[in-house]
Amino acid sequence: MISLAYRRMAAGGLAGFLGALAMLFLPSGIGANPFLVVVSGTAAGALFAAALGSRPLGPGATLVWGLGGAFVLWMAGCALDLVTSGAFRGGSMLDIARVHFAALVGLSLAGILFGFVAGTFGVSPEPGRARLRVARALCGGGFAGIVGGWAFGKWMEQAGFFPLIAGIVGSNSAHVGAALHFAIAILIGASFGLLFQREIRGVGSSLGWGAAYGVLWWFLGPLTLLPLLEGARPDWSVAHAAGLFGSLVGHIVYGIIVGLLYAVVDDLWRWLFERSDPLNRQAEGAGILALSSIARGAAASIGGGLLFSVVMVRTDQLSRVAQLVGAHSSVAGFFVHLVISALIGASYGVFFHDEATDDRIALAWGSLYGLIWWFLGPLTLFPILLGGQFTWTTVAASEGVPSLLGHLLYGMGLAVAFRALERRHLAHLFIDARLRKSWLRRRRPAGSPTPALLLFFIAVGTLVPIILT
Amino acid sequence: MRAQMQRRAALGFGCGVICSPVVWPFAHPLALWVPLLGGAAGAAFAAAVPRESGGWLDDAFTSGALALPFWLLLEIIVLPLAGGGQPAWTAVGLRAAFGALAGWLFFGLMLGAVLNRVLAAAHVALTPVPQAPPAGKPVRVLILGGGFAGVTTARKLEKLLGADPSFDITLVSDSNALLFTPMLAEVAGSSLEPTHISTPLRASLRRTRVVRGHAVAVDLAERRVSLQPDDVQRIARTLEYDHLVLALGSVSNFFGQSNIERTAHDFKSLTDAIRIRNAVIANFERADRESDPVVRRRLLRFVVAGGGFAGIELAGALNDFARGMLAEYPDLDARDVRVTVVHARERILPELGPELAAYALAKMSERGVQFKLNTRVRDASATAVFLDPPEEIAAETLVWTAGTAPNRLLATLGVERDKRGAVLVEATLAVAGHAGLWALGDCASIPDLAAGGTLPPTAQYALREAETLAYNIRSAVRGATLRTFHFTSIGALCVIGHQSACAELRTPLGGRKVHFSGLFAWLMWRVVYLAKLPGFDRKVRVLIDWVTELYFPRDTVQTIEL
Repeated sequence: MISLAYRRMAAGGLAGFLGALAMLFLPSGIGANPFLVVVSGTAAGALFAAALGSRPLGPGATLVWGLGGAFVLWMAGCALDLVTSGAFRGGSMLDIARVHFAALVGLSLAGILFGFVAGTFGVSPEPGRARLRVARALCGGGFAGIVGGWAFGKWMEQAGFFPLIAGIVGSNSAHVGAALHFAIAILIGASFGLLFQREIRGVGSSLGWGAAYGVLWWFLGPLTLLPLLEGARPDWSVAHAAGLFGSLVGHIVYGIIVGLLYAVVDDLWRWLFERSDPLNRQAEGAGILALSSIARGAAASIGGGLLFSVVMVRTDQLSRVAQLVGAHSSVAGFFVHLVISALIGASYGVFFHDEATDDRIALAWGSLYGLIWWFLGPLTLFPILLGGQFTWTTVAASEGVPSLLGHLLYGMGLAVAFRALERRHLAHLFIDARLRKSWLRRRRPAGSPTPALLLFFIAVGTLVPIILT
Repeated sequence: MRAQMQRRAALGFGCGVICSPVVWPFAHPLALWVPLLGGAAGAAFAAAVPRESGGWLDDAFTSGALALPFWLLLEIIVLPLAGGGQPAWTAVGLRAAFGALAGWLFFGLMLGAVLNRVLAAAHVALTPVPQAPPAGKPVRVLILGGGFAGVTTARKLEKLLGADPSFDITLVSDSNALLFTPMLAEVAGSSLEPTHISTPLRASLRRTRVVRGHAVAVDLAERRVSLQPDDVQRIARTLEYDHLVLALGSVSNFFGQSNIERTAHDFKSLTDAIRIRNAVIANFERADRESDPVVRRRLLRFVVAGGGFAGIELAGALNDFARGMLAEYPDLDARDVRVTVVHARERILPELGPELAAYALAKMSERGVQFKLNTRVRDASATAVFLDPPEEIAAETLVWTAGTAPNRLLATLGVERDKRGAVLVEATLAVAGHAGLWALGDCASIPDLAAGGTLPPTAQYALREAETLAYNIRSAVRGATLRTFHFTSIGALCVIGHQSACAELRTPLGGRKVHFSGLFAWLMWRVVYLAKLPGFDRKVRVLIDWVTELYFPRDTVQTIEL
């Protein structure tokens, strides 16, 4: 009987080997020594699998670890190149990152392979873990995929992307493209449910998983599978990727919607049929928890909102915000901004109340939520609410850099304040040892792929717009 | 706990200093502030690490994820500002700082991994910080009374003491829920469901042991309280204490009129409100089948003795309820329905100013409520209420709100009491000459240090007294200085009928009294009391009741036979 550690290492090595082969054969732009690529890929896969230890993993969790590992490996490769090329200054790191952008795509796809191979063959028994509900995953994910696909479809229609998709089946009809797009959106949504049902503990984490899954499908879809299905060689160069920047934002927004709706449907299901059962009664019912989380979230948003407003004042953005209510003054903009901050803060309270196990994770979730709102707010909803169109362009992303910072600051401020308020509330609840036990049961256990998810999405979500613009 | 955190932070600082040179190849080569900043980041990160942290890979990825916002803050905002320039929050600025990003990212990854291993090793190698064992037996705090005063004292003690095992808190209450009395009239008037204004004690108290029972004797010398035996086992139970809190509240005072006591409905508990509501419905049913107009009028006449807050709110609610019911009893004459308030003084609502009292009188009279001022209820029978100056009101329903007295148990204690019967306490709420004995709320006579005299026995004061009392019990046990109780009323609100109320508020500066009346005051009443109602779920339930009442008639289902 092969032990779990060896089985996992072998599966990781196999995944690394296959990923390296794929990188050699598929893309244009990787000019490294093939032998070195295969050997280092196999070794990296095996070592990373060994590093995962004996934690309980399925394909979804391993996939996320794989993505995180792929990003770290890519950065390490870029740094190595920087060191070996003798250029020891920051400016050239960006050039190297741009040159090696193809490697980021390739390594991320290798991360997917790693997830499937190591997650399927290196899986460990998970005592006490809820079993996968296939019907619920498919229905919830499929429904979320339809709605997410509809939102993404709006941009595709505007950008004239449907005929391009129709090329998969040899057509150039926009209708065929739209039908294919929806079919793919449903499939991706359903696969989201299947892969991540047991990883997601609430709407907040589902948003993160969805956004990362959206990035993944940008690497996999328009950059890889679409050209392959059309009989072309995938182009992972930074120039080609920059041309598909709108599609990247679309995939992220699609992922966020899938994550949100999937979790809402899943939560609603559990709420109606499981948590409402008196036998499963918690001391603090779901309604009280939701209401108090809304209140704490709204209160916590004050600090983050004020921090963000400093950025807005210095970049003269408040008068633009005021246009949302038909005003033009900065004062009106400031109040509109605070109201929006409070609403987003309240949503953070509801979505993330059980996610942060400590201050570090809270900061990271806050950053992720801020980043999500950068994609949803200034790049998507804001132009639409002002009567315009989507602005998923590199130009808009460049102009939105101060806002990106503001959103990250807001997210971090919100998360820290919310955690402080939540800790105060929990200190009172935990006087009763039973409540502490029930809270610990709700909390995400150690060893979950959350750190990898946070690293992958915050890093890729921040860096890719910098690299591509 | 603090020592452990300090130790972790120190280790984190060291790890941060060790890991930070990884930044130099990418940015700020050999700059000395980098290790210092790295050390500070390491200390903060280590302090935030929970004891049951995951593996090194988890910590490495977590700190790697945090390195990105850290980089943005430092390189894009803080350093440019520190250099006297503007934040570099442009695409060009971000690109220029890209190299530093790689450096801080590797720093984050290394810091998380190294710190995880160092902390794990330190946990094994270093002696754990000893936890001080609890000394001796826990101090037993026994609270008698499950009203505002008692329950708030227990809550405040819980808040002050947390999970401190050196205290043991017990609350004795004759009901298992805290009744929110300001909304009791709405239960009698069928606006609110009875249970919606009561909060279960066991759900709202975290560490207090709740004993449902009725205290019948207190042995101050032996520090022991005897509870009434239960009906089944007939075994008396005693509870011992180190600190006893008397929060027994008050009972109705019928001034020795046994006929009134036997005939009238009390209006203190949830059961009383439910009985009054059912009595109104039952009387309407009987009146509907009654052929004698005299008897019918008698059945539809409701007398409320007492024109204070409780009596006026109840009269307003009953008047609305009874007149609203007429829609379902087409054979009854609206002229036969009458709510009468009998009040011994020349004006109602003595707690408020004369203008508001006059407003309330006019408004309620307009809505059909009858007032008998400067009049007392002298006697009562099953079919009539006898007044002084002599008058007889033919009515089968009398509700008594005309007087209260502190709980009768106080008379057995052998402590000093005022003429009302309340226990005399010092400004610290301690009973003089009896160490460990405290009293508050309706059953205590508390000196008013600011204005002289004694403080009024209202819920507003009781809530604040409870905070002082909890603090003083802890201080007494720990040998610290006790606080004296000071509070000035912030105002009073009284509902007088459908969407109408009176409000008298005191301004924070200068203490000037401001008056409101009508719809605005009524909205204020609802907002204030909804906010004060304990429990989120209760607030939601009451809010739903109030909204329901806007669109559907009040419920007239009789739930108990009288």
